[in-house]
Amino acid sequence: MKSFFRMSYPYILWIGIFIVAPMIMILLYAFSVPGNSVLTFQFTLDNFTKFFGDPTFMRVLFTSLRIAFLTTVFCILIGYPAALFISNLSEKRQTMMVLLLTLPMWINMLLKTYAWRGILMNFDLESEVKVFIGMVYDFLPYMIIQIHTSISKMDRELLTAAYDLGANKWKTFLKVTLPLSVPGIISGITLVFLPAVSSFVIPKLLGGGDYVLIGNLIEIYFLNAGDWNFGSAISLIMALIIIASMWATKKLDRNADKD
Amino acid sequence: MHKLIEFRNIVKSFDGQVVLKGVNLNINENEFVTLLGPSGCGKTTLLRILGGFLEQDEGTVIFDGQCIDKVPPYRREINTVFQRYALFPHMNVFENIAFGLRIKKLGDDIISQKVNRMLSLVNLEGYEKRSVTKLSGGQQQRVAIARALVNEPNVLLLDEPLGALDLKLRKEMQRELKRIQQEVGITFIFVTHDQEEALTMSDKIVVMNAGEIEQIGTPLEIYNEPANAYVARFIGESNIVDGVMKSETKVRFDDRDFDCKDYHFRPGEVVDVLIRPEDIDIVKPRDGVMRGEVKSVVFKGVHYELMVETKTGTSKTVMMNVVTQHDLHNPTTQEKISANDFYVDSEDLENQEMTDQDFISIANAQAWDEEDRDISLTRVTHNIERRPGVYSITFGTEKKTEITVKVYVIHPEYVEDARHNIGISALDFFITPDEIKESMAISTDLKTWASAEAWNLQDDSPVDITDVKFDFDPATITEGSYEITFATRGREYKVETTSRHETGDRVGLSFDTEDIHLMRKAVHET
Repeated sequence: MKSFFRMSYPYILWIGIFIVAPMIMILLYAFSVPGNSVLTFQFTLDNFTKFFGDPTFMRVLFTSLRIAFLTTVFCILIGYPAALFISNLSEKRQTMMVLLLTLPMWINMLLKTYAWRGILMNFDLESEVKVFIGMVYDFLPYMIIQIHTSISKMDRELLTAAYDLGANKWKTFLKVTLPLSVPGIISGITLVFLPAVSSFVIPKLLGGGDYVLIGNLIEIYFLNAGDWNFGSAISLIMALIIIASMWATKKLDRNADKD
Repeated sequence: MHKLIEFRNIVKSFDGQVVLKGVNLNINENEFVTLLGPSGCGKTTLLRILGGFLEQDEGTVIFDGQCIDKVPPYRREINTVFQRYALFPHMNVFENIAFGLRIKKLGDDIISQKVNRMLSLVNLEGYEKRSVTKLSGGQQQRVAIARALVNEPNVLLLDEPLGALDLKLRKEMQRELKRIQQEVGITFIFVTHDQEEALTMSDKIVVMNAGEIEQIGTPLEIYNEPANAYVARFIGESNIVDGVMKSETKVRFDDRDFDCKDYHFRPGEVVDVLIRPEDIDIVKPRDGVMRGEVKSVVFKGVHYELMVETKTGTSKTVMMNVVTQHDLHNPTTQEKISANDFYVDSEDLENQEMTDQDFISIANAQAWDEEDRDISLTRVTHNIERRPGVYSITFGTEKKTEITVKVYVIHPEYVEDARHNIGISALDFFITPDEIKESMAISTDLKTWASAEAWNLQDDSPVDITDVKFDFDPATITEGSYEITFATRGREYKVETTSRHETGDRVGLSFDTEDIHLMRKAVHET
């Protein structure tokens, strides 16, 4: 074991330099005033009060959460029947369908989003609707694959057993198939909600210049405004939201397991 | 008894393969019926048709006087215990059992009352809140039974439910199932391939084979009066021999006439004669109705199982010539080569069945380089003709290291045994002492070296040579000629006895008139 442990040193070094150190810097920036260096660190909560005190920023945060939530809900609504349909096909066709679903994932996301921009240009839609369409399109395969995996893992004999015990097709779905596919839905949510809430490429390309989500806000403060301290604070807030939502879904998953 | 279920001419096929060939079967109320047969005989298919999970191609299922062909499974008053239990993994024991009651929307207090009654019926009190995935196989089994029975069905179907349990638990569950069936007093239809299970639990056994019913009867009837050789072989151990009726109460088998009970066969009719191994007694050779030699003894716990040969099989004796043959050494290439003289059947040459490869293997021709690695033999030249005589054959390697040996083309005598309908042939052969000493499986190698084979005289199908007799010790063999006898299986009787015997003992066999069961020859071949 010890010799294996030694093999992980390069990786630990890598994580230390490129993940842990930047995180600490974000933490330091978020809690300090502009113009500070590491040596003359001056603690402040101004960046946070600025964010939570300004209704504009709060609106951006709320919009981000709302669009991520709607995207997730629609991915489940479209993805579940699709996954159910796929898992009722023959084994060969299932493989084929899963392949077709994952095919667009091999194409660069930027490219796909540009394509959508071209398509949606011809329609007179609100920015938010365009962003929403782009997100559902992009994240849907993750949801379908997760749900399909959990349904196809299920023992088919359970359905026969439910019919045998007097349940018709609909009742069997409600009492057997659906509860047993909850773990798939949960991991689908994790894979859709988290990237959706922090996405900045899709809103930037599809929403036009005036449509700003929290990811874009961070980008603006780091790259355009040069205010690294405020940008870091927003990043930190978003990180906390993500951690909180992951914890919530984990909890949901465990409750589902218990029943 | 009231007739509850009636299968009328049920036919079912999957992908063009007929699984049920027109099955007719009646099942009464409160019966414990077992469908018994090997896997693939159609027993599970029949059960699934009754459960409504499969639709038959032809025929009708009548349930309580009503045709139920179009009734979906969830409206049939039938419940099933599945092979792998199929318990709902997301529900605890209580909810699994309550499933059917919740579908019927019964009140909570009634549900809990019924579930608790079931839990005590299957001896699982106190397990309500347990997760079904954490139960043992036997406990899962009990939950599956309770989950089905709580719906108070008229019929419970059990699809090989004990297959996954270990022997001790299986025996326990057999008793348990019988008790539960007697307590709830409904029809159990049980599917199994285990004859012992069927004998222990059933009121009625249905023996199935290749999509057809072979026999229906009580366990005693099936065991004591099997309808044909198939049933006899499937249930219990058996000795089955061909016999011919001499009169209504006299049957001839193994060249002797025996008195028997009247089975209503006509004189001259050909029958299968069944004698159960436990009905045969081992006695002194002169007291037996048959005599024989003990071929094998297997200890079975309470008893020994002997195979006694009362008549030897068809045999052929050949000469093995053991000669030392020196390897030829080629000094220019540093290669060594060896081969034996051999005999060959002129008939095999006429049919042009012999290839160069066959000659190499029959002569046991081999070559090595200086580091003892095998080299392939690429050149074979010979002047062999079909006419009997002595010829020569030369084997050579790529680098022209060669050896020449003699080939004796002969017209061997086959032994044709008309009474057993068996022919057997084997040839004399040459071999070196080293080859015998190095042999890992001497009997098999002797068969190969002598080209020994036996066949059915009627249809030319191959017959096993089960006995290779020789009189030398392979480890210490020296040059000379040795006799080897190849024989097919003779008439053997399986005997169960509690007294001890050694292989090679001469014994007598004795049995009573009522131990001879006669059966009609099966019309279909399986």
